[in-house]
Amino acid sequence: MSDKVKIIERKEILDGLKVICGLPDVGLVGTIASSHLISKLKLVEAAYIRSELLPPIIMLEKGLPRSPLRIFANKDLAVITSEIAIPSSSVYPIIESIMKWAYAKKTERIFTLGGLPIPNRHEIEKPRVFGAASDEISLKILNEKGIQIIQRGFLVGPQALILNYCAERNMSAMALLAESFYNYPDPEASSMVIQALNRIIDIEIDVSELIEKGEEVRLAMRDMMRRTQAELARMKKSHEYDIPGYYIK
Amino acid sequence: MRERMEEFEELAEEMFERFMERPSWDISTHSLEPLCDVFVSSDRVIVTADLPKVDPQSIRVNGISDDLIEITAKMRVKVNFEDLGVTHRRGEFSCFSCRVPLPVPVDASKARARFRRGILEVVLPRKKGYEIKVE
Repeated sequence: MSDKVKIIERKEILDGLKVICGLPDVGLVGTIASSHLISKLKLVEAAYIRSELLPPIIMLEKGLPRSPLRIFANKDLAVITSEIAIPSSSVYPIIESIMKWAYAKKTERIFTLGGLPIPNRHEIEKPRVFGAASDEISLKILNEKGIQIIQRGFLVGPQALILNYCAERNMSAMALLAESFYNYPDPEASSMVIQALNRIIDIEIDVSELIEKGEEVRLAMRDMMRRTQAELARMKKSHEYDIPGYYIK
Repeated sequence: MRERMEEFEELAEEMFERFMERPSWDISTHSLEPLCDVFVSSDRVIVTADLPKVDPQSIRVNGISDDLIEITAKMRVKVNFEDLGVTHRRGEFSCFSCRVPLPVPVDASKARARFRRGILEVVLPRKKGYEIKVE
């Protein structure tokens, strides 16, 4: 683990859990989804991430300081979420440290939840969910669960680094990405990735509240989206729109 | 040339940072600044804005000048800081308001707007120039 990033456990986190990452990205899809999971599963704060690579920000909760980047857990799952946009220059070391921690914890599988930006999102009633994975076994599971695989294209940001890190170390990871707005909070897309996750890990998280309270979520997430937009531009997120170069099959 | 590009990028970054370092709300006008986006294609400029909780009938789009439009919309219900979980600030908000600079000249008389799934979309045709004959 990098000296500049420390994961400090406040409560015991068991080995062999499933780890779900919902970090700020397009449409804040992963962030909204992870908040919903934490709330619905009544997960408790089990660890936090302290790093000089993050801005000097704390979250005040009932007057007490909390790290904006935290891990919530129960005996089956650990969910990593952030209340602030992660500076693009810090994404690499922070993700690497989280993955090293997940490796040391003998994580069963890592799920990274996020959005896949599409320009005409407001025309689409029901966003589709696509998948990618770090290994063939995970791809097979995605296929069996009816999740369409992204055959070719670019991924930028936390999910790109998570899949790559896990592929290099034979760790099992899946990215679940719903069609989403680029610049606007997208609770509907979040509900779609949660429903895909439900199918894969056999849980039953109700997403109706997320849809019903969609407008409130969009209102509450405006400022975080604004900050995240700036970091997305710095990490050249728009690469995901690019068509990969010509190749011969 | 490269140095100039870097200077330009630094300037753009500085302006963006300055824009970020102010609140997205204004207590004196009870307004929130919506998230907005501008997309320029070969023949039009598309401005979108995320307007949760607004009354669609109240949305107004006004041309302020050739390169600036103003978007305003009233919310169906007032929202205060406490509704957003913030108890140490006071103030309530009843509308969205923002001014969006347009990066290229447009023909505002042919603009059209629609509101769908909480997103306002304003399409403004770009001003036509002159044609150069290809030999």
